Amino acid sequence: MDVNWAQVLFNSAITGSLYLLGAVGLTLTYGLSSFPNFAHAEFITLGAFLGYTIGTQLGLGLPIALVVTFFAAGLVGLLCYRGIFQPLAKRGATIIHLMVASIALSFILRYSMGAIWSWKPYYFASSWAAFDVGPLRVTDLWLWLIAVAVGLAIVMHLGLVKTRMGKAIRATSSNPDLALAAGINISKVILVTWFVGAGLAAVAGIFRGADTQVWPLTGWDIILPIFAVTILGGIGNFYGAIAAAFIIGLAENFGVVGLMALGLSTSYRLGISFVILIITLIVKPQGLAMFFRRA
Amino acid sequence: MDLLLYGLDLLVFIGIFGILAISLNLEFGFSGLANFGKVAFFLVGAYTYALLSQIGLPFYLCLIAGALVAAIFGLLISLPALRLRADYLAIVVLAFGEILRLIVKSEDWLAGGDWGLSVSPAISITGVSPRVDLLVNIALVFSCLLICFVVAQLLSNSPYGRVIRAIREDEVAAEALGKNRAKYKAQIFMLGSAMAGLAGGLYAQYLQAIVPMLFLPIITFTIWIMVLVGGPANNWGVLVGAALVEIFERGANIAKDYIALPIDPSNLQYILFGVLILLVLFYRPQGLFKESPIKTRALEVVRHAREQVKGEGG
Repeated sequence: MDVNWAQVLFNSAITGSLYLLGAVGLTLTYGLSSFPNFAHAEFITLGAFLGYTIGTQLGLGLPIALVVTFFAAGLVGLLCYRGIFQPLAKRGATIIHLMVASIALSFILRYSMGAIWSWKPYYFASSWAAFDVGPLRVTDLWLWLIAVAVGLAIVMHLGLVKTRMGKAIRATSSNPDLALAAGINISKVILVTWFVGAGLAAVAGIFRGADTQVWPLTGWDIILPIFAVTILGGIGNFYGAIAAAFIIGLAENFGVVGLMALGLSTSYRLGISFVILIITLIVKPQGLAMFFRRA
Repeated sequence: MDLLLYGLDLLVFIGIFGILAISLNLEFGFSGLANFGKVAFFLVGAYTYALLSQIGLPFYLCLIAGALVAAIFGLLISLPALRLRADYLAIVVLAFGEILRLIVKSEDWLAGGDWGLSVSPAISITGVSPRVDLLVNIALVFSCLLICFVVAQLLSNSPYGRVIRAIREDEVAAEALGKNRAKYKAQIFMLGSAMAGLAGGLYAQYLQAIVPMLFLPIITFTIWIMVLVGGPANNWGVLVGAALVEIFERGANIAKDYIALPIDPSNLQYILFGVLILLVLFYRPQGLFKESPIKTRALEVVRHAREQVKGEGG
């Protein structure tokens, strides 16, 4: 079998960038609110639909779609937290109740999107310019994706280290009680995190939708690797998530080559994330968090 | 449409989902285990039944094997997560369900891929009407339900039941009293998975054909609704929950032929399910029926003694 290894490596970077965008919000809200939001998949899907509507149906192009979708989905995420999870937590709901509520929300959002946009898949206008760089086949869309992911990593890093809000997020994430005692407005910190997290998930959704298809399960299709990134990176750990996203990107793309060599279905690429998830839980449930400071 | 047939068919579904609800109740209601991948063990039972019945094993062996294989899978998959917080288990089991469906979908040689497997009915009597056939199925399903119900009822009212409730309420305290929480959780998870596997076998033989599309995560969610609506840690309650949800699903299916709605009814049904869950979590987290108090000999003696003391005092 002839494998273009440079391409496999490049594909890993694309996959890693996508999972990073998708997982940042999940890991940060998971860390701050202490429960995994299964409806995070639906924020991704929402991004795909909004991006399709704005970018292709209205013909406004990718950059405008990215910005508008980020804010619109961020608002939806914020409202979900404000309207459902915050009041539930105030009523003393257990972590299981919060998880069940997130699944309920997930079904409400998914089937509402199914009702609005229907269950038949949409495809973005396939006008992504493809060109060759040395041995690599590259498209516009992928370059955008990598640029946005790298930009996110830099902006988030500077934001977390330099700004008041970033410092408040880090403080709240590592010790909420102490942060509260230090006069940090915790509920504002959590709201900002839900907003940014849902917005970024939606941005991931645009790229995923543009690369494959847009339908009510666009987000659910990649929820497994996104959870694997969250657990492997260490819950609530932004730097861990960056490392984990690219590790899983590599594992998936090299794994697919292996699957093909073994004559197995490539749909098992999801299984690779699952195996990584299980190994993490057995070996080190805290994930890579020990290598990075909490953020 | 034969109304009687429809009613009998509904009863079979209530029976099968009653078993699933009882098993989730053991895990979530009594032990606080968040099994978000119930459908995985249902699938294991169904496919085990189908594969074994194809090589000609009698139906009761297929049912038992389905339950056993599901229990083994339950043990294996829960082991990495049982010592960790409830959310880890939820994520792992949910992911496991997706992976299993992927496997039966991809492996044509084993599980028939997208086309699935055909299954012969457990008990087939030649030359009888469909009604009698359904009655036989109802007898089979409800005897399995009865067994599961009795096991769950006895277990939850035994000293063992008190331990698992204690672990649910406060793991650390239970561990401090010398109860090995991981062991108890693993046992309950195995038992719950075995019951789900049994339900899967019954489902396969009743439908006489299984495909991967039957085992979507929505099944897990439906069982959670049954338990939450009926009342966690109340075996009678979750049976009522199972019946109510099944009747609601059928009702919605019939209604959509007669009522014109602005939203596609199949979407609306799941939106309503989601809203219903949120309403239950907000306004009645204990469900329709409260947790049933433990019935044991020791407690009865205590109560009796208390009443006597009261009587003497008055």
